[in-house]
Amino acid sequence: MQALLALTRANIRSYTRDRAAVFWTLAFPLVFIVLFGLIFQGSGTTRLTIGWVDTDGSPAAQQLQHGFEALDGVTLVKTTRADATSQMQVGKVDSIIVVPVGYGASLASASAGTSPPVQLEIYTDPSRPQLQGTIYQAVGTVLGVVNLGGRPPLVVPSPQIVQTENLNAISYFVPSMLGLSIMQVGIFAAIPLVADREKLILKRLAATPLRRWQLVGSNVLMRVLIAFTQAIIIVAVGTLAFGVEVTGSLLLVAGFVTLGAMAFLALGYLIASFAKTEDSANGMTSMIQFPMMFLSGAFFQIDQMPPFLQVVARIIPLTYLADALRQVMVGGAAFAPLWVCAAVLLGWLVVCFGISARKFQWQ
Amino acid sequence: MHAGGTAATTGLATDPVIRVRGLVKRYGDIRAVDGIDFDVAPGEVFGLLGPNGAGKTTTVEILEGLRPPDGGEVQVLGVDVASGADSLKPRIGISLQTAALYPKLTVVEVIDLFRSFYTTSRPTEELIDLLELGERRNARTKELSGGQRQRLAVALALVNDPELVFLDEPTTGLDPAARRALWDLIKGLKTKGRSVLLTTHYMEEAEILCDRLAIMDQGRILEMGTVDALISKRFNERAVRFDAIDGIDDDVFAGLPAVSSVKHDDGSVLLYTSDVAATVGAVLAQTESRGIEPQNLAIRRATLEDVFLDLTGRALRD
Repeated sequence: MQALLALTRANIRSYTRDRAAVFWTLAFPLVFIVLFGLIFQGSGTTRLTIGWVDTDGSPAAQQLQHGFEALDGVTLVKTTRADATSQMQVGKVDSIIVVPVGYGASLASASAGTSPPVQLEIYTDPSRPQLQGTIYQAVGTVLGVVNLGGRPPLVVPSPQIVQTENLNAISYFVPSMLGLSIMQVGIFAAIPLVADREKLILKRLAATPLRRWQLVGSNVLMRVLIAFTQAIIIVAVGTLAFGVEVTGSLLLVAGFVTLGAMAFLALGYLIASFAKTEDSANGMTSMIQFPMMFLSGAFFQIDQMPPFLQVVARIIPLTYLADALRQVMVGGAAFAPLWVCAAVLLGWLVVCFGISARKFQWQ
Repeated sequence: MHAGGTAATTGLATDPVIRVRGLVKRYGDIRAVDGIDFDVAPGEVFGLLGPNGAGKTTTVEILEGLRPPDGGEVQVLGVDVASGADSLKPRIGISLQTAALYPKLTVVEVIDLFRSFYTTSRPTEELIDLLELGERRNARTKELSGGQRQRLAVALALVNDPELVFLDEPTTGLDPAARRALWDLIKGLKTKGRSVLLTTHYMEEAEILCDRLAIMDQGRILEMGTVDALISKRFNERAVRFDAIDGIDDDVFAGLPAVSSVKHDDGSVLLYTSDVAATVGAVLAQTESRGIEPQNLAIRRATLEDVFLDLTGRALRD
């Protein structure tokens, strides 16, 4: 145990003295988060995306649509009643407005005084009061124009509620970034490991009473500690600077940080098993890191990818780590149930570690 | 404590600390070690002398348990290496041919790290003093000079105060002063009753340090014994040396009185003789008759260099 801890301390020292490694694992994700956070924050307060469900299609309905489109900072996304709610839940739209069937006709009869005002369904999320206010302000502006000729009013808003999980863009992004950072800290382990082998350090250690499990154990311990440091920094910045609310269980977050770090560490060992030199380990790490980053659904919606890429996204572990972290940190739509995420990560861990245990050259 | 007494407690004092029989190691078609046998006695400094590629490092790494042999028997400190390498590791110290050090850790940090691997270890300060690394104690190992790195590697070999120390080319790359300092250190180990197996391709080092040595070439041990025995066995004679002369064949030299053999080394002729006066006189007579004089004529005792040259027909330093 003493040897394991001493080796862990030595590894951490070597790591913190390697500026490039520290930058990529700690500073880079932070820079990324601050950058994205500022972008999202800048647009978040003024832009409003409304899911527009027009079940009528009459000229009057189109006129109403133009009224909303003319508003500053409002974007309409045409959708159907069936899709609208789920789109709002994943944060693609902030609100939904449903133009009822027969809107044109009802509007005409209402203005003739022969029928009550037309009900316009407005779906908002009460857990986002500020956004709700902005929406009703916009609705008020547009209906004010429509109602100008009639009193009592011709169209009245019918408030509806959709519980979203408070998933704005930055909330979606923070768990993804954490997942990405954990991936990096794991697979980047390949580089110093191959370097230690090239420098004959592993051979020298083999001549001491140090056991291989202690060597691997110290490596795992160190990488998991770095992953936790990343998690604390990223969550702290997300919460304090950008108001991301971590609603889930911290224990589950810690569990997935650990599992994710170990799964990617196993992938790092796999790289180290096939890379002969430090340079080739570097190359293989990049070759895996970048596709993983862009194909994982960590930053892009999987269902918007071409089908063959979706297949890839459904295999790679970062998809499941980012998804699990998102579910346990901020909630929101799940790509896969938590137990599936855990099982996939565990599967990667076992397979990569198993191959490495057979293939890894110690000398 | 596993000081001098341990070797005696594991068996009779005469039991060898290293026992090698019929050791074979192949790399593809090449027999890197081709059936060698030797013993190292307790408290002995034993040298494997030979050129690069002779199989010295391979032999040492098999003894250290770092490489599996393809054939033969290897016992170290009474333990069969093939089955008991783990129990041996706390009792031996090694220094690889190339110093293997964490580049970003300091001298003190690396020593402390290695100390943590052993249940008993010498104090860090003692090792730093012993290897004269005090001035560089807080330098990162990648900033050390070649000699300092080598000294640190030897310090790491001594961390656990081992009964048996393997030093693979310990003085390669050291300046003469540092080399002498390390020789003193190795002699110090001997006076403490430790056994040392070292490899070297320096004649002088082997002559000064080794109680016994084995001359290796192409995976085989060509000759083994004390330095004196190795020399006197082959050369109860002196060497007469002079620059090669065009026009006089070796046959002519070989026919001169008292000459036992003729060798060439780096542009000079070596005549091994049992009667220096007769041979030199005959050489001078030969050259005089052709109106020339031998250049750089010298007479010396045979050295290990002569032994190696005689055994292989090549000079060791090539």
